Formats: sequence, C-alpha cells, structure tokens
Amino acid sequence: MTRIIFILRELARSLYRHPGTVVTSLLSTSLLILLFNLFWVVVGTSERFYKNLLSEMTMDVFLSEELPDSNLPALTGEIKAIRGVLSVLYISKDMARQDLASQVGTDLLVGYDSLNPLPRSYSLSFESEVLNLSEIAEIAGKIQTLPGVMEVSYSRAWLEKVENTKSIILEIGLVFGLIIFSSALISSANNIRLMTRTRVIGFQQMLLLGAGRMFISLPFFIEGFLIGGLSAVLSWLIIFYGYHRISFTQIEIVIPDMNQVYLFCLATALLGGISGYLGVRKLLK
Amino acid sequence: MLEKNAAAATEPLVELKNVFLVSDRGGYVFRDLNLTLEAGRSAVITGVAGSGKTSLVELMIGRRFAECGTVRLFNRELKKGKKRVINRVREKIGGVGGVFGLLPSLTVAENITLPMVISGIRKKIQQERLLKLLSEFSLLKQAGEYPPNLTRVENYLVQFARASIAGQPLIIIDEPSAGLDLKTYQRIFDYLIKISISGRSMIILTSEKPPLEIPQTDHYLLENGTLI
Repeated sequence: MTRIIFILRELARSLYRHPGTVVTSLLSTSLLILLFNLFWVVVGTSERFYKNLLSEMTMDVFLSEELPDSNLPALTGEIKAIRGVLSVLYISKDMARQDLASQVGTDLLVGYDSLNPLPRSYSLSFESEVLNLSEIAEIAGKIQTLPGVMEVSYSRAWLEKVENTKSIILEIGLVFGLIIFSSALISSANNIRLMTRTRVIGFQQMLLLGAGRMFISLPFFIEGFLIGGLSAVLSWLIIFYGYHRISFTQIEIVIPDMNQVYLFCLATALLGGISGYLGVRKLLK
Repeated sequence: MLEKNAAAATEPLVELKNVFLVSDRGGYVFRDLNLTLEAGRSAVITGVAGSGKTSLVELMIGRRFAECGTVRLFNRELKKGKKRVINRVREKIGGVGGVFGLLPSLTVAENITLPMVISGIRKKIQQERLLKLLSEFSLLKQAGEYPPNLTRVENYLVQFARASIAGQPLIIIDEPSAGLDLKTYQRIFDYLIKISISGRSMIILTSEKPPLEIPQTDHYLLENGTLI
C-alpha cells in the first residue's frame, strides 16, 4: 500500500463509517453558505438598483441674467469638457416657463410675457463612474466658478442617503459574511472532530510509528475540502434554480458571474480543507 | 564521506546522559540516569512497577522530555518541538507492549505494513516482507482481521511483526512476558534471541529478570531513579 492509497483509504473509511455526520455536515454547511450567497445576491441587486436610480440624476446650472447669449456656446463647451459630464441640455427662459406650466398644470406667468423671471439653465447628466457624492460635488464646484454661472443645484441630500444606504448594506454584508463563514468553518471543524474523536488512539499510535502530522491529517483535509466544495456547489445550484423559477419585472436580480462562482466554490473547498485539518490537529497534540 | 559514515557507525545507538526527569506530582522519576547502547547490543532493564520503565520508553521515543541531561538516539538529540527529528527517530524504532498498540481501524496486514507505508517503501517489498512475517508468526489466517477480534497473544505477535517489518534497528519491548502463557513466552523469547543474533538492538523492559539468556545483552536494574 502506498502513502497515497493509505490516505485515500483512510478518507473512504471516514466517509463510510460516519455517513450521518457527513450528510449533516454537508447540509448544515450548504445552508450557511446558501445564506451567504443570498446576501451576496441581495447586495449585488441593491447595487444595480441604486446604480439605475443614480443614472437618472441630473444637475441644474442656472445662468445669470448678465451673460450674453453669444457666450453660451463657449460656456457649453467648457462644461462639456469637464470629466464625467455626459450631456448638456440648454433650457431657455421660454422652455423653463413651459416646463413650469407642465409641472404645475397652469401657466403662472400670464401677464409677465416680457418679464419672464425664470433663469436660463443647463440640465446636465453624468457618466456612471462619477455618480458619487465626492465627484459630483467636485464637478459642481468647478461649474460654480465658471463666468456667467449663477447657481448650481443637484439633489445632494438624496445622493448622501443613497451612499449611506449602500455603505450600510455593504457593512452588514461584510459582518454577515464573516459570521456565516466562521460558523461554516467552526461547524465543519467540529463535525470532523466528532468523527475523529473515536480514533485518537489510532492517531497516537501512528505518531509513535513516526507518521507526520500532515500524513495523519491529510485524509481529513481532503474530507473537509470535499464537504466545503460540495456545499458551495449545492447552495449555488439552489440559487440558480430559484433564479430561473422566479422572475421580478420591477427589480433586476443580479447573480455573480460564473468565474466568481467557481472561485467562491474553490475558496469554500479550501476553507473546508483547512477546517478539516484544524479538526484533527487538536487531537494530535 | 566514508570517515563520516565510520564515525556514525561507532556512535552509540542510544545515549542517555545525566538525565533528570520530574513526575507530574513533583517527585524525581530519574536522577542522573545514564544509559549507552551500542549498535548490535541489547539491554534488559528490570524494575519493579512504578520504577519508571514506561517513562524511560517515553523519553526514548520523544513523548516526554527530560528536565536536565541529554537523550540521543541514532545520533540525534530528542528535544521538545523538534517534531521532524522525533519522527525520523520513531521510524527507526519498533515498539511492542506498553505505550505501543495496534490501530483498531486497520487490519492485521495493514497494521504490520504501516511503518513501511509511513517510510514510503515500495508496495512490492511491503508484500514480500508481510508474507514472510505473517508465516513466521503464524498469522496468515488473521491477516484480514481487525485488532478487536484478536486474542491477546495474537495482538502481541502482530506488534512484534510490525516492529520488525521495516528492519527497524532498535526494538523497544515493554514487558515481553505480560499475560503470556509459557508456550508463547518461549516462542517470543526464541524470536528475541533471533533478533539479537541478527545484529539488531533491543531494549527490553521487564519487572522480572528473564529466565533465559539473550546473547549480546547487558542487564540493568532500574532503582531509585537510576540504572544500576
């Protein structure tokens, strides 16, 4: 019997002798990973949802009465040249009046035909990569300094709320992920420790024969690797099944791409392997 | 290289120098204990129960460590934390009785070949030596049995076979006569004599002096924490 055959036999023995513990370990780890995956999907989906909301965000740049119309093309060019500005839409006094009338339902400026108090303005939209509080504020600051600009207005408070919500979801996700992952690790290690407790005498004898700790714990590393990997695959299968069965029309559900899923399964398998090793290591002291 | 090998050959197989060991309860188990065993020679250490025979075995296999003094086997000093050195030394020791036992989850054949599996010896050689030892110890029928199904004598014989399979240069036997009938005892003793003649070394720890003489053997008495 070669070393590798011995290790594989030990692995098979462990799986064969404790089918109940193996299945329990597999299911409990799958459940924990499923929770983690669900939260991953929630984070991705909310990220997309906010991104879509933000893409509709505009900034109004009000122009001063003193700015002659002949200077408008130059100002438009300067605003367009600012990094992150996607489009610049000029709104004349008349267009502003029409816009106001359509919003209110009646023209409030009847009788003020020659004295329209509404200012000329630009409505700006932005590229997605600058749709965050700091960069939008920076753009607003730049525009504010341009000659002929009276006031820059955008929904700063709303943007702050969006960013806060995003960061809260991310923070909760991180804490949640950490708790779930450590639970999976501890649960898996404990299951393997439970399976190996009866074999302490055997381990001690192997140590007395000169077997290294790695040699003894390798079957349990592989066992943990298999349980971790299979649990991850199982939990993703459940997610994909649910994703294809349930469809929302209003919210676009975001599933991580397959490369991320493969990497996650591999990482989970490795963590399972480590937990398997940790489960036995304590018994080898 | 030749000089180095020659020097290694003259080095004692086991060398315990000025060893002091304190028990868990605080008293001295060994006080200035010294033991030197040259390659090819054997030692019978006699001591009453509680004299420290098992502690001596544990010192030699790196399971316990002396408070003071040095323990060297195969020209390597056994120190706490030197796991690799301890493993290499343990690979060269065949153990029978006392702290040494069989793995209950492995069959007789697997138990016997385990030292060779650990050392990474080829499967063909393992099978050849296994067959030889199984027939030598009349264990062919029990090859597929698990230790809980063996009798005490069979268990002991399997341990002897395991202690010999990898050609371990040193065999440590803790109480060779423990619970054995006269016939088996005689058989074991014949085997011990055979080992001694073959040039391998043994350390036999026993509570009573063996009735038969083993060639090339020194006798010691373990008393008051030291060897006389």
